[in-house]
Order: sequence, then C-alpha cells, then structure tokens
Amino acid sequence: MTEQVLDPHAHDPLSLDAELPSSLMTVNLGPSHPAMHGTVRLVVTLDGETIVEAIPEIGFLHRGFSKSSENSTWHQVLPYTDRLNYVSPILNTTGYIMGVEKLIGIKPTERAEYLRVLGGEISRICDHLTCVGAIGLELGAYTVFLYAIEARELLWDRIAELTGARVTVSWTRISGVATDMPPGWEQRLRDCLPRVLELTNEIDTLLTRNRIFVDRTRGIGVISGEEAIDWGFTGPCLRACGVNYDVRKAHPYSVYDRMDFEIPLGSRGDTYDRYVLRLEEIRQSHKIVQQCLAQMPPGPIIGDDWRYALPPKKDVFGSIEGVMAHFKLIMEGIQVPAGEVYVYTEGANGELGFHIVSNGKGKPYAIQVRAPGFPILSALARLIKGHAVADLIPIFDSINMIGGEVEQ
Amino acid sequence: MSQALIDLVREKFPDTAGSSHRGDEVVNVRREQLVEIVSYLRNDAACDMKLLRDIVGVDLLTWRTEMTGGGALASNEAPAYAVQNKPRVEPRFYVAYNLYSITRKHSLRVRLDLRSDDAKVPTITSLYRTADWWERYVYDMFGIEFTGHPNLQRLLMYPEFQGFPLRKDYPVRKRQPLVPELDFPDLIRGPGPGPGGAGVPMSQTHVGRQNVDPNTYD
Repeated sequence: MTEQVLDPHAHDPLSLDAELPSSLMTVNLGPSHPAMHGTVRLVVTLDGETIVEAIPEIGFLHRGFSKSSENSTWHQVLPYTDRLNYVSPILNTTGYIMGVEKLIGIKPTERAEYLRVLGGEISRICDHLTCVGAIGLELGAYTVFLYAIEARELLWDRIAELTGARVTVSWTRISGVATDMPPGWEQRLRDCLPRVLELTNEIDTLLTRNRIFVDRTRGIGVISGEEAIDWGFTGPCLRACGVNYDVRKAHPYSVYDRMDFEIPLGSRGDTYDRYVLRLEEIRQSHKIVQQCLAQMPPGPIIGDDWRYALPPKKDVFGSIEGVMAHFKLIMEGIQVPAGEVYVYTEGANGELGFHIVSNGKGKPYAIQVRAPGFPILSALARLIKGHAVADLIPIFDSINMIGGEVEQ
Repeated sequence: MSQALIDLVREKFPDTAGSSHRGDEVVNVRREQLVEIVSYLRNDAACDMKLLRDIVGVDLLTWRTEMTGGGALASNEAPAYAVQNKPRVEPRFYVAYNLYSITRKHSLRVRLDLRSDDAKVPTITSLYRTADWWERYVYDMFGIEFTGHPNLQRLLMYPEFQGFPLRKDYPVRKRQPLVPELDFPDLIRGPGPGPGGAGVPMSQTHVGRQNVDPNTYD
C-alpha cells in the first residue's frame, strides 16, 4: 500500500494562496469630490484595487469662455482670462494681453515688462505652493498644506497690495499694467520672501525624504518623455520626464532673457519628480523676483498711445484729447487690426497659448485658449492605469489640473 | 527659420500656400493632403514637429457682417436675416493645427478650409495622441466631423445638448432646457420605477416639487 502525498491546499478554495474570485467593479469618482479638485468626473473600472480603465468626463465647469469673449470688447475679455487659472491669474492675463499686443504690434514700457515678470513669478510661486500643499494634504500630511497656505497668503497679501485684489486681479493692461508698486511695497515683499523660502524648505524637509511620501509617489504615474510630448505635455509635467522645454528659455519673451535662472529637470517622469521639480521651480522663481526688484528701471508703467491705453486722469479732466480718448476707449473699446496670432507663454503648469483671431471690428472674432492642463488631463487615464485606486489621488494632484482653464 | 520651414513644405507639396502674419507662419493645405503633410511635419528629421499644441476651429459666417454704430457696440452675432437671406460665406469653417518642434524650436500652423455642407476632416489621432481631445473639442463646439476618430463624442457639453455653441449662428443668450433627470432605481424602496410611477423622474416626486408644473421652470 503506497501512501499518496498530496498537497493539502492544492484544490482548497479556502487556502491562503488560492486566487480570490473577483469581478470588475465600476466606481464613480466626482464630479463633486474634494480630491477631484472641483469638477472632474472619473468613471473607474477596478479589478480589486487595481485600475483597469478610467474614463474622465469634464465640462462641469464650462462657462463659455470663447463665446463670451467673442461678444465682449478686447478689454472686457481681460477679467475672463483671470478666471481661467485662478491660482496664478497674472500669468494668464499677461498671456492674453501679449496676444493682443502682438496683433496690434506695440510693446509695453520697460518698467511694465519688469512688473509683469515680477507679478507673474509671484503667481507661479503661489501656484506651485498650492499644488505641493495639496499633494501633501491628500497624502495625509496636513502640516504641509498649512505651511504652503501660509506662504501663499503672504504672497497673496502682497499681490492684493500691488493690484487691489487677491485672486481675480485683472491687472495687466495693453501696453502696460494698471498700477505701480505702492510706497513701501518693495520692502514688504523683501521682508516676506525669506519667510516664503523658509516655509518651502520646511515642506522640503517634511516630504522629500519622508519614507511614506516617497513610497507613495516614486514610480507612480510614470510617463516617458517621448510619450509625454505625444500627449501634448508641457511645463513641469514634461520637464519631470527630462525634456528641456520651457518657453521662458526656449523663446524668451518680456525680460526673461535678462534673468539668470535655471530650468530644473527630472528624469523619471513620476509623481515624485513632478513634486520635487515644483519645489525647485519655487526657488528659481524666487531668484527671478529678486532680480526683477534689483533691475527694475524707473519710468511709466503704461504706454502713451491713447488709442490702446487709457490716458492718465490728469489728461482726461484737463485736455480735450484726453477726454476723447477716454470716451472712445470706454464706449467702443480698442480697435485691433485684422489678423490671426497664436501667442504662447509659460504658465505655471505649462505652455499657455492663446489663439486669437481679429476681423478688425472692435471685438475678438475668435479666441481659443490652449490650457496647459487640457492635454495633461487627457492623459490621466493613461497615467493611472494599472495603479491602485489610492494612487489615483497623488497622480491627479501632481498634474495640477485647474478646472477653470481646462473646462473654459 | 520658419520661412525655411514653409519652403521645405512647399517644395515637397507644391499645391500648398504659405503665408505669414506677425511672425506666425501658416500653410494652407487641401483636405486630401492633410494627414500626409502633418505626418511629414511630424516625422521628417528637418521638421521634427512632435508637439501638437492645439487644434482650433473658426467659423467665418459673420466675418464680413456690416455693423452700425461703433464697431464694438454692434454684436458679432449674426442677425436672423443675415443668416437666412444672405449668401453663405464659403468656405465657412477652417481648422488650424498649431505644431511645434521642441528640438528645432520652430512652429507652424497648418490650416484647412472647410465648406459648411461638407465639414469633415480626417482624424490625426494616429499621429498625435493629444489630437483625441482637441478633435472632440472642435467637434463639440463647431460640429466639424473628424472622420476615423475612435470616440467622437462631445467633450465639454453634455450629450443631449442641441447645436454647436461656437458657431456664429448659435445665439449667445440662447438657453437650453436642462435635461430631464433620468429615472433611477430607488435605493430605499428597491429596484423599479420611482414613487411617481414609470417615467416620472425622481426630482418630480419630491414633496416640495409635487405641485410644480414642470413647464414653468426651465
């Protein structure tokens, strides 16, 4: 009689290494969910915890930016562009105004160029701080979020003093900016910048070598440089893959050619690189702000061509030409010659493009915004596929989609 | 640099037309050539335009509409008579592709005119993945059809939306009734039609809405 040795667990469905019977499950995330940053709906198909398929649905924040712009005067479009990216509005308005200036063929004054770069870089710091803080918050590091918001508030206070509004500033003007630095503002900015840098360094020490944070972000949401270009990535998300493309360096506009700064590059193209890159960009923007303050020349903040820029109040009330120019600009708006341009600047999340068409009749004939987040969001399904559902949140954070510009 | 790029394209494809405005280089192409030219621009080593920035649609319906009063005070919107009685602007639409090369730092716009009775464009989703959403966006806003697109659905608007909002004959103040809510199984009472019976949306069975005539609100 032979004794047969059998694996006691071979066909036992209750054994520990038996495969669990599972079926696909569909889960709906958003659109109203704090981690979906407002308005994106994701229909995710899960196999256990692994994402098999994801279908993003957008448009819940669509408010007809292009249609409204086509029915407004050139200056009335300005506040709409603020609301595209409400975290870094100065970068948006500058992009739009540069498009109009390109159509007209005029240049802003030199001081205005510096002020735009100054305001724009402060906005970029705010945008990156918001993104970094949100990644921390949603991975359970609430302290990081508080530090980031403290730093952002310091800068938003400065922006409020400079422009008159915290978020929707509408500060850039054709051929210049609306207001100059108020007295004592430069010193206040110089006083708060070290604190912002200190808080950024605090975030760095809290997260960058944090075992939990690194485990949750490294190797998550990886995309290669070539594929990222194919998907239309720009900005920090593209540079995290090691592709050196920054509009400020590749095609220096405004006074960026006079600034000494570096473009940080990642190598892996994962969530961790996108986070580290943003921290480094905050430091580089900090350098640019300091250089702007040092190099800022005195002079007018807006051009004196009254066909496009409002005359000073002294001239409005003191001269007939001033009154006429003021009346024409307010009642009819500026007249932009017919033409079509595509103008691109480096927004906080990538290349921000405005495709503007004018038929020369006082209103933009067509405007389309190339929101940096739009192509990146379209690749979200590709980025999260194969990862656990818990990784979806940090990946979604790290691409920093802004609903206002993506959904227009 | 970019002028050289236009020359390059025109040498290869003689029946394209190149132009330049404010430093933006444009080539006008015919529809049959579109995929071939874009593919050439993407893959040729001298062009190397791997980044598709965006796809833009423009409706030229009111491009020459006369305006009275100050240019800005008149509406860009086409008045009803202009749309009905006047000869149509043809070609009415155009689609523009903004291409860029990261390595060679040059950009080019490929423009394609379209007649309103035949507003169809071959898709370039096989060349650029990012074209997927941009083509859906242009379809959503202008009703331009991208033949061969794997999933040509509305992107920003909801599927039940009627018309194409960025066409110039779509009135800016037009409102569309909200979509009636779909009937869904009641989680408490179990599957089946809601308490109002089959076909009655849950919203209208709510206590506060029982006496509201559904025709009075939009």
